Amino acid sequence: MTQILAIETSCDDTCAAVLDGPRILSNVVSSQARLHARFGGIVPEVASRRHLELINPVIDAALEDAGRDLDAIDAIAVTTKPGLIGALLVGVNSAKSLAAATAKPLIPVDHLQGHVAAAYLEPDPIEPPFLALIASGGHTLLAEVREEGRFAIAGQTLDDAAGEALDKAARLLGLGFPGGPAIQREAEDGDPDAFPMPIAMAHDGSLDFSFSGLKTALVYAVRDLGPERTRERRADLAASFQAAVVGQLVAKLRRALDLGEWRSVALGGGVAANGPLRDRTAALCEERGIALKLLPFELCTDNAAMIGSAARFAEAIPYPRYLELDAAAR
Amino acid sequence: MILGFDTATPETTVAVVHGDEVLFEDAAGPGPDGRPVAGRALLGMVDEAAAAAGGWDRIATMAVGRGPGSFTGLRIAISTARAISQARRIPVAGVDSTAALAAGLRERAGEGRPVVGIVDARRGEVFAAADLGSGAGEPVVCAPGDLADALGEGLGGAVAGGDGAVRFRTEIEAIGCEIPADEDPANRLSARQICLLAAKMEPGGAHFPAGVTPKYMRRPDAERWLERNDGS
Ligand SMILES: [Zn+2]
Repeated sequence: MTQILAIETSCDDTCAAVLDGPRILSNVVSSQARLHARFGGIVPEVASRRHLELINPVIDAALEDAGRDLDAIDAIAVTTKPGLIGALLVGVNSAKSLAAATAKPLIPVDHLQGHVAAAYLEPDPIEPPFLALIASGGHTLLAEVREEGRFAIAGQTLDDAAGEALDKAARLLGLGFPGGPAIQREAEDGDPDAFPMPIAMAHDGSLDFSFSGLKTALVYAVRDLGPERTRERRADLAASFQAAVVGQLVAKLRRALDLGEWRSVALGGGVAANGPLRDRTAALCEERGIALKLLPFELCTDNAAMIGSAARFAEAIPYPRYLELDAAAR
Repeated sequence: MILGFDTATPETTVAVVHGDEVLFEDAAGPGPDGRPVAGRALLGMVDEAAAAAGGWDRIATMAVGRGPGSFTGLRIAISTARAISQARRIPVAGVDSTAALAAGLRERAGEGRPVVGIVDARRGEVFAAADLGSGAGEPVVCAPGDLADALGEGLGGAVAGGDGAVRFRTEIEAIGCEIPADEDPANRLSARQICLLAAKMEPGGAHFPAGVTPKYMRRPDAERWLERNDGS
């Protein structure tokens, strides 16, 4: 079996993992969420600086947790795109330098391939065919998976990512960062039907997502209410906004299920932790008589184990052909 | 043997030095689009340098320019140095990029004159460090016209160089510095100087990975905005 050291720094989590095939030997994530909370969002320069501080200790911790020396590693995998370019550069330069200094092969991985490949990890790998809905602060993607290691994009967001929309709404309502959990907490005491929210692209037949209209609707609602009434109605606003985001995700998933034969649905990405999304997806799957596979939370949010998983299906570049490899924002 | 590199300025530069002997030296300026090529070019040049030295086992110390300079450039060089250090257990010494520039200017100016290494800091400012005869001091960040004040020295008759000196030639010549012609190699940081400065460091000046940190000299904009808004 191939032992892979995987590195992921595309956004605000510094991550390293060691895998033995589909088995996770270690999965270290150093989250920067608290660092960025005071800015109300991820600041690329702050993230890049923190990645540089954390990357070597995180790699050491991943090797140590796995009980492996670098010598025992067969290949090094790294996220090369998409993401924050300055953040990606820290991971890519660290990974290719580690690989070059030990003449090991390097495996460049697309971050989105990683999110889907999280489904193949043990102990509960998901067998194709399945539909994967990946929603996070960086992406919103509906993927058709017919065989391991490959997927076709059925739909993706045309503007904001679902998690990004929740972050923006939380900021507008004076709630914390990250927005998803803050909105969910606030929404528990609110009425999801209190404020009408536009239903984006409900009738165009596409499987793509759009969340910018929702944000605009919330901006107008907040403006019309004024600061005081906004505070009073904050729970209703949060509940209505969350219901609209979740409603769109579930509606597109429903449409995708209508269009093909699927054995199961996999839910991933940080937004997969959202309670109402899990509940409504579970209800939809039950109605269709198919299985819902919820990835464990630590494999939903950004992590390097998923990058190592995707690496098993990607092309390894032998030393020294990757020396000029660069990161790419998209 | 010391293998050193720097990507704090638009120049990607790598060298191997053994005593006074330079075994390897290579540099790449910005690409045709005017952007630094460090992200793509550095590791290939470092790999070649290690091969020229006879392999990583022959390298006793790595030396890396820790800035001040381009934030992205610093992170590329330092993440490269640290990862190789982590893989090969080679200690890394951090060297001020402005000091390396000044050391190159010292070779050119000879003894007896002040030299000032000046890196373009963008936003109309420069990073600079002066060497009055006993090595470069701590770098400062300031507008080019404020250099004498910021360094606390009269700079009349000083030799100044670097991409910052070239960019702000008029302002810097106005405070009495002499700047070599734009194309003069003294305006470009050489990794040879990074190696030579590292060789002069006290034992213990080189560290394993986490010990080498970048000299940004500026906080992220977002932090400054936050502070300004909190204060009002
Ligand atoms: Zn992600």
